[in-house]
Amino acid sequence: MRKKVLAGIAAGIVAALSVGIPATAATNGNAVLSVLHGIPDTPVDVYVNGALTLDDFQPGDLAGPLDLPAGAYEVALTATDATDDSAPVLGPVTLTLEAGKNYTAVAHLNASGSPTVTPYVNDTSPTAAGEGRLTVRHDAAAPAVDVLAGGTAVISDLANPEEATLNLPAGTIQASVAAAGTTDPVIGPAPVDVQEGVLTIAYAWGSLEDDNLELAVQTITGLHSAPDGVNSGTGGQLAQRDLFLQSMWAIGGLVVAAAVAASALVVVRSRARR
Amino acid sequence: MSRAIAGVGASLAIALALTACGSSPGAAPSAPAPTATATATPLPTPAIEVPIAAATPPPARLPVPPVRVVAASIDVDMPVVPVGVEAGGFMELPVDPAIGGWYRFGADPAASDGNVVISAHVDAPQYPIGPLSRLRDLPAGEIVEVTDAAGEVRRYQVQSVTYYPKADLPVDELFARSGTRNLVLITCGGQFDSRTGRYADNVVAIATPTM
Repeated sequence: MRKKVLAGIAAGIVAALSVGIPATAATNGNAVLSVLHGIPDTPVDVYVNGALTLDDFQPGDLAGPLDLPAGAYEVALTATDATDDSAPVLGPVTLTLEAGKNYTAVAHLNASGSPTVTPYVNDTSPTAAGEGRLTVRHDAAAPAVDVLAGGTAVISDLANPEEATLNLPAGTIQASVAAAGTTDPVIGPAPVDVQEGVLTIAYAWGSLEDDNLELAVQTITGLHSAPDGVNSGTGGQLAQRDLFLQSMWAIGGLVVAAAVAASALVVVRSRARR
Repeated sequence: MSRAIAGVGASLAIALALTACGSSPGAAPSAPAPTATATATPLPTPAIEVPIAAATPPPARLPVPPVRVVAASIDVDMPVVPVGVEAGGFMELPVDPAIGGWYRFGADPAASDGNVVISAHVDAPQYPIGPLSRLRDLPAGEIVEVTDAAGEVRRYQVQSVTYYPKADLPVDELFARSGTRNLVLITCGGQFDSRTGRYADNVVAIATPTM
């Protein structure tokens, strides 16, 4: 609990420091990295380049986002009572981060149940006005799956550690995960909120055999675009009325001018008669 | 490597403790002796604070939609409904020019950041000319009031009224989600092209919160 409060404060500070810039946007020359823990029942310490970076990292927790200079990072996971990374339970693995990209490194089980780390690149390109983006990642010790929305497969035959991405109108979808080619859910159905301008990443993690399949969710905000424009007049009556009033003024002007001319003529003629 | 760092950290802690004791002799007699922590095998602590949270969707803030906009000086008092995006990527609008549309993907009046965008047709077939036909006459300095669904009234002061050719409408600026908290009122104006059923220009009023 205390950690979450601290995390909230840290996130608040980060947000406060980056006014006007989405917290998740990579600054020049940097990459953004988040880390998801998707190995059941195994709290770990995470060492990056030999330095302890995440202490007592719990399954189902998401760390970051961290703004890091581009480059290669050596990541090792150890038991939580380790005093250094000399005896990792997983790794060391090398993560190569490119400038301007947004990554999530996921510690998870592969299809056969062995721990592994998969670095994913998050698609943070702008979304169309009114749309959000949904990425689904298979990080569970389970066979290939289909992802169903409202009972129909929208992603087919997704195998560990593959991912699939959909751009969808903003709204809530009833999503479930079923073994490929079937419709009987192994996860869900659960409501997934596709928010406008937000990348929602759903991770299936855990193990089918151990009956501990879970869903983790990461969101990355600030991908929104403005509408292309506003077509706020389709009748033309205002333009017609304006035109009418203008012509009335013009006609009115002509009438006045004609009246002046006429009276001038009358004056001239009356003078001439004298 | 980290063992070395941890060792440095531990000795630093001792040094700090000693300094503290030295600077105020006898001031803290109940303080525990630092030797107890120094002799235990220290576990390393992270060098940087990384935010960690459960990987669950963050609770979304529910917007409080505006329901009414009033610009008394130009006799505008219209209901407002939430709208989104229509086919083609344009802002959706209520068919009736007497009803305003609030862009629900942008900020609501209670939001801490972002422009509140409300737009209405200036006219439409089968309807009388709409109240926003008078937007072009809205003087700078006038007050526009927006009432939200919770009944709260917010006041905005008009800064400008501008005609933009439609293709030049600064949509990123007007629909900004951060760094600004203006009320943006949009309608149409200028020449009407009866072939396309569209006006050439957008009329845009910008008003800033009075508080």
